[in-house]
Amino acid sequence: MSETKLLHSVRVNKDKCIGCGKCMRACPTKAMRVRPQKASINYERCIDCGECLRVCPNDAIEPITTSSADINKFKYKVAIPSPVIHSQFGPQIMPNGILSALKEIGFDYVYDEALICEMQNMVIEEYLDKNKSPRPIISSTCPVVARLIQRLFPSLCNLILPIEPPFEIAAKILKKEISEKQNIPKEEIGIIEITPCAAKMVSISHPETLEKSHLDGAISIKDVYNKVMIILKKEEQSLMLQGQSPISGIGIGRAIAGGEIRGLKYHQSVSVSGVYDTIKILEGVESGKLHDIEYLECLICPDGCIGGPLTVENRFIAKSNILKLTRIYGNKKRVDSNRVKRLYKEDFFSFESGVKPKPFKPLDKDRILAIKKMNLKREIFEKLPKRDCGICGAPDCITFAEDVVQGKAKLEDCIFMKK
Amino acid sequence: MDSEVVFKQEFEINGGDFVNAGESASKLKNILKEIGIDTDIIRRLAIAAYEAEVNVVTYARHGIMRILIYPEKILLTVEDEGQGIKDIDLAMQPGYSTATDEIREMGFGAGLGLPNMKKNADIFNISSTVDKGTKLEITMNLNDKNVRD
Ligand SMILES: Nc1ncnc2c1ncn2[C@@H]1O[C@H](COP(=O)(O)OP(=O)(O)OP(=O)(O)O)[C@@H](O)[C@H]1O
Ligand code: SF4
Ligand SMILES: [Mg+2]
Repeated sequence: MSETKLLHSVRVNKDKCIGCGKCMRACPTKAMRVRPQKASINYERCIDCGECLRVCPNDAIEPITTSSADINKFKYKVAIPSPVIHSQFGPQIMPNGILSALKEIGFDYVYDEALICEMQNMVIEEYLDKNKSPRPIISSTCPVVARLIQRLFPSLCNLILPIEPPFEIAAKILKKEISEKQNIPKEEIGIIEITPCAAKMVSISHPETLEKSHLDGAISIKDVYNKVMIILKKEEQSLMLQGQSPISGIGIGRAIAGGEIRGLKYHQSVSVSGVYDTIKILEGVESGKLHDIEYLECLICPDGCIGGPLTVENRFIAKSNILKLTRIYGNKKRVDSNRVKRLYKEDFFSFESGVKPKPFKPLDKDRILAIKKMNLKREIFEKLPKRDCGICGAPDCITFAEDVVQGKAKLEDCIFMKK
Repeated sequence: MDSEVVFKQEFEINGGDFVNAGESASKLKNILKEIGIDTDIIRRLAIAAYEAEVNVVTYARHGIMRILIYPEKILLTVEDEGQGIKDIDLAMQPGYSTATDEIREMGFGAGLGLPNMKKNADIFNISSTVDKGTKLEITMNLNDKNVRD
């Protein structure tokens, strides 16, 4: 895998791409161009939100996940399914059935991430109680939100909750506990998330707040779906008898937007989902007008991780399934608060380093030249038809004007500018 | 002695238009990001511009926000036609506000806008004539280093 591919979570399959430009129009950071004829990604602008993947009618945008060959390199394979998994197989199948089916498809151990989600919720509450840092504190759960802030809202980096998301905490705890209890060297344990998230691979290969991720890979819910479904169908009876696993509705509820703030009774909190609404609320935060909000949960996917691009179930049905489970499992805490305190002391939750600003490059490194280019860009834009037709291969006229200024396109590429 | 303006843009602000309050400040911010102005300067200027914009929407009929960029500084002026301010020293006091209950319900009227602008600006000037209007001038110094690495 080349460096850029590792750095990002999607790639264009040029054989499948028909150049329709749907991805280009959907991209919130204008990272895509269809020039010449096929889509290409400017990885410098990509934040791994997965919008392109979601809209492509030809499956030409492919998510990058861990190959089975890479997983099989590990002697002891551990799956940590995202709580989203519990929404995917219909309302009759209970969490325990899914966990044992996952084990059967080739993992030595399966650990429900929902448990850590509940734990992390307690840590968030503790942090809000104890810390009087500037508000609103922004959730660190969604890796794309962190990237979006780094790129588009660099001045907000210091508002991000300095607590690792559940998948990192889970992997860190499991690696330590399994290697100690079963006497297996850490390098031989492979911790793999079963994920709805297109951005997960990047946050594993290039974690922003850790020296090295505790996870060893991620595979999509889509990838395991058929195999799990077959087992569930075959063994429905016996799996049904397995009873409830020790999880709470609080942990499972993290699969949908609002799950994080549900437990925060004493703090003014807001939950936002979807990339455009997230951008909008962050603009509000940046204007300094939202400091009344104490905690801001932002998830890039519509309705939260159940709307992740690597899921199978329709997100509205998935949401209903999760809500049903949260009712069945209730809000009773399952996590031992003494254990949480101990882990807190042992530093299992905090970032190793803060999220650093990485603003998009300006039009030029030299400010005076950047301003000249800005003026030129507007001059060109004024000449253009402003139809945002996309035939030139850029998502809209203003971006095309920028491409011309930067020498990436010629004015004649616009069919309205041809003599 | 002023050097030449290298960039200029104007935004209109309509009194009473709370729906779009903040739009001009937000557009301004995006321009500064594209030009590569220092993150902290953008942050401070955007906060000042937002407060100034909301004041025009709240207390005036109409206003113009103007951004002028010089090689060594950014000048933001906000000029409005409106009721003006009788006692500027008083208006500058944190907590002083003449906002009505309706405006407070919208989340404004803490009396912190003007003090906040002053705090975030490198140079802050305000002048006003009752029943005519108010003019603000906010200057941000740019460092001598024009090239970013
Ligand atoms: N452009 C203006 N025209 C007329 N009066 C103004 C203008 N700007 C401010 N004022 C007066 O100065 C007072 C203080 O303004 P300031 O922005 O500091 O606080 P505020 O607008 O009342 O509340 P906040 O800005 O915290 O929401 C206002 O209540 C108003 O009486
Ligand atoms: S909302 Fe969830 S699935 Fe979607 S990008 Fe964020 S973390 Fe990944
Ligand atoms: Mg004000």
